Amino acid sequence: MKDYLLIIKTEGSVWSDLSPEELQRHMEHGHAYIGELMQSGKLKNANPIDKGSRVVVEEKGVMKDGPFNESKEVVAGYFHITVADMEEAVAIAKANPIFKDIPTRIEVHPMMPVGGN
Amino acid sequence: MTKEINKLVDHLFRHESGKLIAVLTNVFGPDQLELVEDVVQDSLVKAMRNWPYHGIPQNPSGWLYRVAKNEAINILKQGRIKQRRTVDPAFLERIQEESLVDEFLFSEKEIKDDQLRMIFTCCHPVITSDSQIALALKTLCGFSIAEISRAFLTPAENINKRLVRARQALRSHKVPFAVPVGPELPLRLKAVLDTIYLLFSEGYHASSGDQLIRFDLVEEAMRLGKLLLDHPAIAPKQSIHALLALIQLNASRFAARQNADGDIITLEHQDRSLWNKAWIDQGLIHLQQSEPHRFLSKYHILAIISSYHCTAPTFEQTNWVGILREYNRFLSVDNSEVVQLNRSIALAKVEGAQAAIDTLVGLTTLENYHLYHSILGEFHIELHRWTAAIKALEKAESLASLDKEKALVRARIEYCIKKSGN
Repeated sequence: MKDYLLIIKTEGSVWSDLSPEELQRHMEHGHAYIGELMQSGKLKNANPIDKGSRVVVEEKGVMKDGPFNESKEVVAGYFHITVADMEEAVAIAKANPIFKDIPTRIEVHPMMPVGGN
Repeated sequence: MTKEINKLVDHLFRHESGKLIAVLTNVFGPDQLELVEDVVQDSLVKAMRNWPYHGIPQNPSGWLYRVAKNEAINILKQGRIKQRRTVDPAFLERIQEESLVDEFLFSEKEIKDDQLRMIFTCCHPVITSDSQIALALKTLCGFSIAEISRAFLTPAENINKRLVRARQALRSHKVPFAVPVGPELPLRLKAVLDTIYLLFSEGYHASSGDQLIRFDLVEEAMRLGKLLLDHPAIAPKQSIHALLALIQLNASRFAARQNADGDIITLEHQDRSLWNKAWIDQGLIHLQQSEPHRFLSKYHILAIISSYHCTAPTFEQTNWVGILREYNRFLSVDNSEVVQLNRSIALAKVEGAQAAIDTLVGLTTLENYHLYHSILGEFHIELHRWTAAIKALEKAESLASLDKEKALVRARIEYCIKKSGN
């Protein structure tokens, strides 16, 4: 079994145009999807990302932090899953119902195991 | 991370949106309606993003109220609202006390009162009627602009313009967030019922737009009517009962009006076992409570007509004499040509198609209404005047806007052609 980090990226303001009815449906789909992943034991952790992200950089020895530009693309949430291989991780990402409702990108990153590969 | 098996009731977000907008409008005032709508939308988005991961809370409504309230308080504290004349100073003082923030909850009664205020605000006479309907759907019923646009087959920008005009009217006329009292109440109530009727009528009669969303409109009209009915401050109740009777009796036939392919099925050919019996029963009870022997309003009459249809075992066994009598009464309230057109159908059943045709001649405002020509065509068919029937039906076909309507008329034209050839 290997660990994967799924990072869900969406546009910043996509939600504001959805109707309450659509938001409820979307919520229920996401709820069922995550519930199933938990039940299967493949989900280690998952969280939605709140507004107000900041970016920290170092420039010429000075640490700076500034607001993350949320207008274009935001990290909507992440999943930490444990599955057989990359193929299964990708299949899980593809099954995310978020694709049905809004433009989304999901990055699937293999996590390096404690003892190395 | 916990996982509960809570299921949400249907339309919870939509209805909570309506309630939240109402209670927050009472805090901010109708002139800040757009801000309120944004706060509520943000709260629903937060729930949508949070609940799949963290589970649906035990009390979903309570969660939404808390989040919306906190957002509203932040806005008030940050002074992001320009004009505070409508905000109760005592309320502002109260929210400065952090310890009180969590205790501040809206009671069921407060929510109902505020929804009622919202109904009267949306239906205020300073707003034009198409804007009233759009505003009621957006704020009270939790529809998005896209959904209203789909229901009415009207471009989203037009719906948005109506909403903008409605909010402007509320601001410029400083419309209070209140239920009218005294002699003003019955008049304003009448305006409210008219808007609810139009809302229903758009959903029920419009032959265009998304079928599912139009059924939702009918349900919303019913829900708003019940809100008025259940509130002790609103009187008289008879006209509300009449409107609800009319809506429920008509809505009972909703599922029978189209087949699986979306083809239109006329009353005559509907499978009456598909009519919603529970709604018919409820409609009849409302009709009785509307005291139709003592009151005469167009809703009373339309409800009685609908009750004759709903209780007839077959199309042929319909009480056409009763329906004609009601249409005759209707003409004393509203003698518009549309009413005369509807009356002609009952008249044809009672006195024959020729008598009906005679009353339709010269109804000039209906010249571009496809149903006028369809109905005329049907009368000619009854009289076996195939050429006249075809002429009328072809006119109807050219005026009908929907393919399904055209198909229905086309089938009748083919029938006439076949008959006239024999």
